[in-house]
Amino acid sequence: MSTNDPQQQMIREAMKSIAERKPGRTKLVYDKTKRTIVAVAEGAQAPRALNITADDADMFAVVTLSSRWLREQWAQLKQDGQLSIAFNSWDDGDALTHCDLGTQAAPSVEPGIVFLENGVNPPNAVSLRIILTPTADAKPDATTVVAPDGSMHRAVCQRTVDGREELIDVFFADVQPELATRRAGILESTVLADKTVLCIGVGTGGAHVAIELAKCGVGRFILVDRDRLSVGNVVRHPGGISQVGRFKVNVVRDLIHEKNPAAEVSTCAVELSYENQDTISQLIKEADIVVCGTDNRPSKLLINQMCVEAGVVAVYGGAFRRAYGGQILRVRPKQSPCHQCFDSAMPDEASDVEVSASADADEIAYSDRPVAVEPGLSLDVLPIANMVAKLALLELLADKQTSLSILKQDFEAPWYLWLNRPEPGTEYAKWPPLSKSIDEMTIHRWYGIGLERDPECPTCGAFISTIADKYGLDLSSMTELPALPEKEI
Amino acid sequence: MWSDDQRRRMVVEHEVLQREGFDQFSVYYDKTCDSYWASGTASANSGNRYRLYIPMPSRYPYERPCMYITDPNPLRMFNGNPVTSLGVSHQMHTLTPHSNGWPQICHWRDARWHSGILLNKVFLKGLIWIEAYEQHLATGRSLSEFVLTMAERA
Repeated sequence: MSTNDPQQQMIREAMKSIAERKPGRTKLVYDKTKRTIVAVAEGAQAPRALNITADDADMFAVVTLSSRWLREQWAQLKQDGQLSIAFNSWDDGDALTHCDLGTQAAPSVEPGIVFLENGVNPPNAVSLRIILTPTADAKPDATTVVAPDGSMHRAVCQRTVDGREELIDVFFADVQPELATRRAGILESTVLADKTVLCIGVGTGGAHVAIELAKCGVGRFILVDRDRLSVGNVVRHPGGISQVGRFKVNVVRDLIHEKNPAAEVSTCAVELSYENQDTISQLIKEADIVVCGTDNRPSKLLINQMCVEAGVVAVYGGAFRRAYGGQILRVRPKQSPCHQCFDSAMPDEASDVEVSASADADEIAYSDRPVAVEPGLSLDVLPIANMVAKLALLELLADKQTSLSILKQDFEAPWYLWLNRPEPGTEYAKWPPLSKSIDEMTIHRWYGIGLERDPECPTCGAFISTIADKYGLDLSSMTELPALPEKEI
Repeated sequence: MWSDDQRRRMVVEHEVLQREGFDQFSVYYDKTCDSYWASGTASANSGNRYRLYIPMPSRYPYERPCMYITDPNPLRMFNGNPVTSLGVSHQMHTLTPHSNGWPQICHWRDARWHSGILLNKVFLKGLIWIEAYEQHLATGRSLSEFVLTMAERA
């Protein structure tokens, strides 16, 4: 951050003298209770408060460097004495983030050079110079990096701005351990690293599920969606306006990498259709679980057919029209009702889908009776997506003992219902207000609903043999159909 | 290429048609091109005859089969225009016509179709459509006034 404020210039000079480790009679210490920096002078009775606040302490630029990258390049650094490096420069150079840390590019990239301190001032031909200094007695933290040979180093960055030299703090990011630290206690660091999630449909809901699972540490994703991100999508989809025109699978791949850089993500920008059934079937066989984020029934039934055949668990999430609510079906093949069982048992519920794109509207419209595109709010879709992610997570952890194992009995139901509002014209219109209901069903609560498998289901049951039995047909003896008629149609 | 399950399903479909009172319809198989279709002639209450034709899609029963009226051809509306001139029409309950000029009767939309629906139900909807069509010819009122949007469970 550049500033000409005299007060901030004074603070900058004071902080710089500390950073340069110039000894003095006065020390500056941050007093947490007063939220200010106090000067503690030798011989003084009481610390002298300066007019410096925590906000001022944040005004200095920060350099963040990947410690993993540095360790990988260490041999080269030792050999050459220096390494080229590039930083994403954010906010007019206020934050310089090592490009190796993520996929998202800043408006500008600033080159730099990393040096091992050797007592000689590095040349200032490059504006950013990072000098690594051995430190023997430091406690490992974000300001230190441990080299492969076990030596510990701190770093300082010299930057030349408008012909003036300044020092910038350097922090090291050890990405995977730091990300795992935030999940520790709930999920062990590697418990999901070997799991593969196939996300078919990465629109608003599907993309959110994928990103949430990436945050949980899922190690591999396969993304399938033929659509490109449009301007209209942006009010709902995690992808932003700067991503418009890209395939959604690529947008979501990058968002996953922003949350879990170690995740392996493969993309498949194809339509979910019978023509591509073989391709999708192969992907299903590679997956531990399938998350279905498509919003029309034919696609769900197609995925259901393939998942039941492959014996792969699938979670189907969908919003009702204008996202007044939504439902989720988790299918454990041959153990719980499949989507076909659900559609046969609850045809009206299965047909209540959000019409979020013109293609979906055309699918159910007549030319003389168009159907309006009426997507719901992202706010109303995300509770459903969150629940899909939770159910998928629990399935992925089914064979592991974790802190979440206690939830297994809470999520035994195959079908889950959520209402965002008591939509007029629906059976939920008369539900009592959330604020007044104690025992009755209301909006903004999840309901797990039991549903039995259909033993005569055409997808997961004995449909054909049941009909044959009903009519007394012996299928084993019936190998020939009636002869073709003489006259062609 | 048809799977064994699909072929068994065709056999059962044919038998169900014969035993459920739809014996004017049959399922046929053409060995030369390994294709299936169902067809037959429906007689309206008026005595008029209509030929119904259902080519079986290769992903049947997961994919919805289309049902066409192949005779009379062209099938005309009250005003003398071909039914196919309306294309996908709610008024006449029709979907995209065949390239041969045959109108496609709307029995189930893709969004409502599932593999648990048997051909006898599809033909039943064809018979209902034909009766409504004859009322349209007699009165000039649109077919949708005689049949509601077809419900899931017929």
